[in-house]
Amino acid sequence: MQLIESLVGAIARHSPAGAAWLQTEGSRFPQAFAAAGRTLGRDEISVEDCPIPWPRTGADEVGRAALVLGAVAVLPPDQHVTFVRDLLRRGEVRERHAVLRVLAGLPEPVRFLDLAIDAFRTNVQSVFEALACDNAYPARYFTSAQFAQLVIKALLTGAPVGRIHELSSRIDAELVRMVEAYASERRAAGRPVPEDAKLILQ
Amino acid sequence: MKLCDPHIHMTSRTTDDYQAMAAAGIAMVVEPAFWLGQPRTHVGTFEDYFLSLLGWERFRASQFGIRHYCTMGMNPREANDPALVDGVLALLPGYLEKDGVVAVGEIGYDDMTPAEDKCFAAQLELAKAHGLPALIHLPHRDKKRGCERTLALVKEVGFAPERTIVDHNTEETLPMTLASGCWAGHSIYPQTKMDEPRMVALVQQYGAERILVNSAADWGVSDVLKVPKTRDAMRAAGITDATLAKIFWDNPITFFAQSGRLLPADVASALTVDQRQLHEGNSVLRGQTPRVD
Repeated sequence: MQLIESLVGAIARHSPAGAAWLQTEGSRFPQAFAAAGRTLGRDEISVEDCPIPWPRTGADEVGRAALVLGAVAVLPPDQHVTFVRDLLRRGEVRERHAVLRVLAGLPEPVRFLDLAIDAFRTNVQSVFEALACDNAYPARYFTSAQFAQLVIKALLTGAPVGRIHELSSRIDAELVRMVEAYASERRAAGRPVPEDAKLILQ
Repeated sequence: MKLCDPHIHMTSRTTDDYQAMAAAGIAMVVEPAFWLGQPRTHVGTFEDYFLSLLGWERFRASQFGIRHYCTMGMNPREANDPALVDGVLALLPGYLEKDGVVAVGEIGYDDMTPAEDKCFAAQLELAKAHGLPALIHLPHRDKKRGCERTLALVKEVGFAPERTIVDHNTEETLPMTLASGCWAGHSIYPQTKMDEPRMVALVQQYGAERILVNSAADWGVSDVLKVPKTRDAMRAAGITDATLAKIFWDNPITFFAQSGRLLPADVASALTVDQRQLHEGNSVLRGQTPRVD
């Protein structure tokens, strides 16, 4: 199933009126993207048969992701990166969640790597988690060094490391060294080592 | 009794202020976009300011259990800078659609120049186009004349008075503001604008209908607790709790709910505080134990 169909289907199951709104207003992109929170609500919903990992998220995020896919589909490919960059720069927190969640489902996702790295640095915790947790993007496109930074940051900020997509297949010697060093720093300071460190050190 | 401060510039205040406000019962604030105490020199700095109202400041307020809404607009003083006006007016439509933006404001007159006329009218049209109410600042110099011109412009543009707050009223402007059908804001200040005993007298004379009270606290000498202090002065003067609840909670909610961006049900419950949250990698805490409700 296409990603956009999965997302729209999730909205339709939650609220037929919301799906009708997406259908009619979806082409007025900037207004619809901003208004999705008010029209679709923030109830957490599930997306079924989704081609990319998608946890339960607010209906507004699911709807916004569908809107982004629709808008990108009608833009010339050379404008995609600028378009997504503006959404991340000018977005509210919940708008940014939606864009980061759908990144791996956009055409030629590797083009958005710089944007994903930038989003990972800015580190509003919920925005960071939208990229780090239950999201295929880092595992598929981050270099080993970038992926290691993501995992360490998740440990430092208390994000659920177990929800990093394909974590076990991306663990390498350098990541293990960094997590061991972090654990050592915590012990030296008399502070507890996060439980999630075991997910890398085992 | 839950309190709302419907006009306060929290970006210029400290976390001590947030703590004191929350302790005094302030559960919600509306932060109008305004100037910075000195003129901006680039359009881009407006954009970062608008983003900080939607992002960092809303997050910061939430860490103290205070719901933060904002209004977006080009303030009257900077409306006189031709290098900025067109750029900021072009920027606004994108921000007027965002969640939590409950009015266009603060707009209005400062010196009452032709440039201000134009920017003021253009922003009332933007408010119409985006389905938002308007928050209008009365000038502090030549205020009575400014109020007359403000009400005339609102009428000329055909902007609905019931969707308009005319703010910073005094004894001399309140009768005409109320007669126009607009809502009337009052900024309680340590020395200037309006004070508590005068505000008590105004409510005794005019009642509570379409009356709002705010601190308009900013980076100048001002007091973030003027809303609870004025409530206390009214109570001491024998004004009933039902009237106080109307002025200090129901009225601002009713007015800003007209935006469709603030649902009365959203603000009915207390905000859950989780100070473990970070914003842009910054916590409001500096080593304290986070408060988690």
